[in-house]
Amino acid sequence: MSATQAEVKDRISSVQNIRKITRAMEMVAAARLRRAEQRIEALRPYAGAIRRMTRQAAEAAGTEIGSLPVLKEHDAERSVALLLVTGDRGLAGAFNSQIIRPGVRAAVEYEGEGRSVTFSAVGRRGVSTLAFRSREVQGAYTGFTDRPAYADAREIAEDLVSAYVDEKVDRVEVFYNGYVSPLTQEVRRETLLPLARATILEGSEREAEGADEEKTGHHALVEYEPDPEQILSRLVPDYVEISVYRALLESTASEHGARMTAMRSASENAGELIDDLTLEMNRARQAEITQEILEVVAGAEGLG
Amino acid sequence: MAHETFAVEVLTPEGLVFQEDVEMVSTRTGVGSIGIRARHEPLLGILDPTELRLYRSDSDIVRFAQGEGYVQVAEGRVLLLVEEATAPENLDRSDLEDRRKRAEEAASSAQDNSEEQRRAQRDRRRAEVFLEIAGGGGS
Repeated sequence: MSATQAEVKDRISSVQNIRKITRAMEMVAAARLRRAEQRIEALRPYAGAIRRMTRQAAEAAGTEIGSLPVLKEHDAERSVALLLVTGDRGLAGAFNSQIIRPGVRAAVEYEGEGRSVTFSAVGRRGVSTLAFRSREVQGAYTGFTDRPAYADAREIAEDLVSAYVDEKVDRVEVFYNGYVSPLTQEVRRETLLPLARATILEGSEREAEGADEEKTGHHALVEYEPDPEQILSRLVPDYVEISVYRALLESTASEHGARMTAMRSASENAGELIDDLTLEMNRARQAEITQEILEVVAGAEGLG
Repeated sequence: MAHETFAVEVLTPEGLVFQEDVEMVSTRTGVGSIGIRARHEPLLGILDPTELRLYRSDSDIVRFAQGEGYVQVAEGRVLLLVEEATAPENLDRSDLEDRRKRAEEAASSAQDNSEEQRRAQRDRRRAEVFLEIAGGGGS
């Protein structure tokens, strides 16, 4: 039996309220997305300057950077650490599950090869899901995924680097949602440690080749405090921090993008539901009117 | 007395925080405190946490709580590349106290001579220096 006019009216107004909320959430996500995009841009000059300094220090040191502990591959890969970058909150479509699923799958694969796996997770969603799947979480980093600071990335990177240098783990990989556009995120899986030498050298060719030429031309005159080897050994681990920071920023932008999309489709669904319910309400009203007319006609006939 | 000025940039992972011509830069390298004036010779150095002072003039000084980083002097320009540069009034004392305490605990529980211990000591030193700067700011 169809609902009465009043019942349908109530349902319409509750759906309208939900649509107001999802629209507001969509707008908030859009504003935060713009800020997150700006912060990805803001990192570029810093990363470029670190790269140029590393080249200068490497040239002055004249040593092979391959001997630094973060670049050195361990003899055997017995223990692997996986860092899963998720969000503190849900309501963002597949954003969190599409990180956790491949992360756990990779762990199962490594364990099948006889290696031990430790998990670290960024974001409450990742931490709680791993705990739910009875996975121990070595490092849990939460409370900042809306707006990660460089200090957050440094904390994570230093945990991972010291575990690697102290030979507690032999390999570190990160899973995160790479930011492509507000509508598109792609799941990325990258090796953080051992740090690939290509990470340090790539891109340096196109970056300010001319300016570097001038500087290296008279590097004999440059004063180093302390010596170039020590500067280099401090610069290189910074790449891990920068990689983690970039992953955090991209994940944040992706999360806001995913939430924006999820909330937009929720608002659209609410709109369709309101249309359907309005139709139902009109039908109910029509039925009531028809009923009344029938009753009046029947009454008139009874009198006649 | 006015001094010759030179261009200074303070660049952090979160963006450019200072870009002006100044008379002097005062900071701390791995070797010790350093003051840089115009026509300083080319330099590449490690920076340790300290109060960074940028002298627009003898009396007009911009201050930052400066984290670890690097300084480069080249072609008459000074580039300070630091992990963080916070205005002293924006430092959070209770947060810094927390950090110092956590670093202290981590340093004492870590194995001697491990990377973990070295890192905890760095964290502690940074928190201590920043606390000192926050204290001077009268918060």
